Amino acid sequence: MNFSRRKFLQTGSAVALAATAGCDRATSDLLPFLKPATTDGPFQPPQSAAIDLVSHFINRLSFGPRPGDYERIRKLGGTEVEAVAAYIAEQLDPARIPDKLARWAVRRCETLDDSIGELFEYKERLLLEELTRGTLLRGVFSERQLFEVMVQFWTDHFNIALGKGDTKWLKVADDRDVIRRHAFGHFPALLRASALSPAMLWYLDGRSNRRRNSDEKPNENYARELLELHTLGVHGGYSQQDVMEVARCLTGWTVRGAKESKFKLGKVEFNPDLHDKGAKVVLGQHIPAIADNLSHDEQERLGAGELDLVLNIVALHPETAKHLAAKLCRRFIAEEPPSAAIAAVADAFLKSSGDVCATLRALFATPEFLATRGGKFKRPHHFIVSALRATGAETDAGKPVAAFLDRMGHAPFQYPTPDGYPEESAPWMGTLLWRWNFAVALAENKIKGTKLDAKNLATRAGGEAQLLAHLLGRKASAEERQACVESGASLALALASPTFQRF
Amino acid sequence: MAQPKTTQTFLTGKGDAQGALVVVFLRGGADGLSLVPPLADDGYHRARPRIAVKPADAVKLDGFYGLHPLLKDLEPAWKDGALAVIHAVGSEDATRSHFEAQDLMEHGGLAAGGWLGRFLRHRKGATAGPLSAIALGRALPECLRGAPAATAMTSLKDFSIGAPPNFLTQLGRLYAANTGTLAAAGRDTLAALRRIEELRAEDYKPAHGAEYAGDYFSQGLRQVAQLIKARVGLEAASVDVNGWDSHLSQGAVMDPEMIKLSKGLSAFYRDLGPRLMATTTVVVMTEFGRRVEENSAFGTDHGRASAMFVLGGGVKGGRTLGKWPGLTREVLEGPGDLPVTTNYRDVLAPILNRHGAGDLAPVFPDFKLAPLDLYG
Repeated sequence: MNFSRRKFLQTGSAVALAATAGCDRATSDLLPFLKPATTDGPFQPPQSAAIDLVSHFINRLSFGPRPGDYERIRKLGGTEVEAVAAYIAEQLDPARIPDKLARWAVRRCETLDDSIGELFEYKERLLLEELTRGTLLRGVFSERQLFEVMVQFWTDHFNIALGKGDTKWLKVADDRDVIRRHAFGHFPALLRASALSPAMLWYLDGRSNRRRNSDEKPNENYARELLELHTLGVHGGYSQQDVMEVARCLTGWTVRGAKESKFKLGKVEFNPDLHDKGAKVVLGQHIPAIADNLSHDEQERLGAGELDLVLNIVALHPETAKHLAAKLCRRFIAEEPPSAAIAAVADAFLKSSGDVCATLRALFATPEFLATRGGKFKRPHHFIVSALRATGAETDAGKPVAAFLDRMGHAPFQYPTPDGYPEESAPWMGTLLWRWNFAVALAENKIKGTKLDAKNLATRAGGEAQLLAHLLGRKASAEERQACVESGASLALALASPTFQRF
Repeated sequence: MAQPKTTQTFLTGKGDAQGALVVVFLRGGADGLSLVPPLADDGYHRARPRIAVKPADAVKLDGFYGLHPLLKDLEPAWKDGALAVIHAVGSEDATRSHFEAQDLMEHGGLAAGGWLGRFLRHRKGATAGPLSAIALGRALPECLRGAPAATAMTSLKDFSIGAPPNFLTQLGRLYAANTGTLAAAGRDTLAALRRIEELRAEDYKPAHGAEYAGDYFSQGLRQVAQLIKARVGLEAASVDVNGWDSHLSQGAVMDPEMIKLSKGLSAFYRDLGPRLMATTTVVVMTEFGRRVEENSAFGTDHGRASAMFVLGGGVKGGRTLGKWPGLTREVLEGPGDLPVTTNYRDVLAPILNRHGAGDLAPVFPDFKLAPLDLYG
């Protein structure tokens, strides 16, 4: 029967997916289908009454500790300071971290590896499901935690909601080729990749930004968000005139859309005939007109080159540094980050020409980072992933888990406007009901596709009190221990507790 | 951070002052010309010799339009001035595909997320509570995509936490030991849970002699009314009425749906009473209307403009709004469809403003609004 695996998958049937898994793969590719061995021996939780340095670093650089993480990281150095220094170095070099468990976990999310052309062959629903599941699974199982944290940071920063036009297919490629590829790279390269990402060209209308004659008005949508959200920030010193001039510079970029074309779908092309060839001024810098008597090729080269001229003006602008530094500090330090930390991080960003790792290294070295422990509020995704990690749960991160995120308004790739999910706590304060529901459902093994062994977990930790210390990231207070005992649902209560909502 | 003033702060962000917006979507393309027939337009009777509503049967509205006789239960609200009708309303997009038209209308154009979701996300001082947005049914409708917290529910049971009785007591103890917003959020959430438990336990008695029918629409509205009265911070609810695709035997298809719609809305209106209806708005919409001319099978095919209803929330009702384009051959669009003279966003915009929208630009991007004067 000539019935290809691809055709099978297009039906979007999970049954088909499971039934055919691996049937036409090369033997070497079978490796991720064998579940890597995981450790399930005893582990040592934190011992001090306040959050110690190691716990603090795990909280902030990851989606929370798995059983055994604290002990492993503490042993990376003789002192706590040495241990966290080694942890930072390890996390900033993800290529050297073997990540077999995460690879194994996402093995069924095959669309994540497909080319743009192949993506269009699937039903949108399947792509969203696999992208969501892949994101959750990597959050739960990857050892490259800081990398995953930064993937989420950039996903919000360059937000694209699946839903508008062809983004339904194209976001999968954006996630892989833009966000994940450059998450630990240099910001200018990330920005350029995003500017030319077919998904972004769809999401912010860059593909319909054109000016064939003086009557036609360029579409300013991307130009505005480029300045306001992606680079300079809303008070970054640009004017409405700058937005219009940037939009003019970016006229002529198009994407082959599923409605107009059958082949080369998602291909990004520059068409000089759609480009505004007049002179422009962007943030005070002159961009000369493109002369009519130049060859078509030369016009194309110069017109397309205006994208790089614009990005070069903004990518490493001091306002961009400040804007990004403030956002990073909000994520890693505090909701209202101290200005000294922002200044230090912005400085590192500029000195390193936008090197993400160098910038993060500077952030983790600020006294403000070291001083503010346990005060950040987990967003719903962080809460769910951290609960799955802390309990060492097995999970397929399927629909029942994703449904909790839907209910809390934090489904991956579903934030409707370009500003991305908020990092502040206020918008998420109404989500406690579903966090508590999740905590109880998880602890009592009532989530289909997710399973934990509470008894074994307590044994491995060395008793209920020790388990509590593992979950809270510090020794529990007498009141917390008592509340857990009296609740009759100790594990659920710890996960639902105020402390577990913070990091 | 300032301490919240009442326990309601995290349930609504507004202390329930905002009132609830209930969106009723008629799926399948409901025929506006049957719901609200233009009785005085001869073209209507000529185009539909067999299925037009006869002037003698219709509920009289304003001399030009009437209500379908099966919508007669809506007459009291109309007479109270609490029900407004907007005719020849619809989308700027001419697609006649159900899926595409619903998708575009619920997203508010070619945009990510739904208009109701973006409204909840971007309205003034947005702080979503656990029960701020609900959809009756198994799945969230597209209009609620991107909402800060939205729950598809089939019954109040969906909200309860299946934990030992001491669990919530001890949880309350831990949150009370905290200070600031998290402590307040914990307290409010516990209060909401207690209220839901009470609601589940009580035998709900609709007020003012209202009686809800047993169908899913009436039962859905009954739960919405219950939540509104319980002041759990409901700000938006979505309820669908399916089955309006009347290609053949218009009456057989539409009649049961119209009865559902009319009985459900009138029971809800009566149950809430004037005080609660003053802050509760119900808006009824559909993806498109139907061809003006009837087809050979006593039905009508996919068309363009239809009608919308706005009930309560301070609307200046008892009147019809929107420009009637007439039904002469020159004005009909494409294969003979009622042209859209009012965009659906211009009906929703003033309602959203009434419900505290603030800036509508993120709610309806890429569209120049010309909001209808629903309240003047």
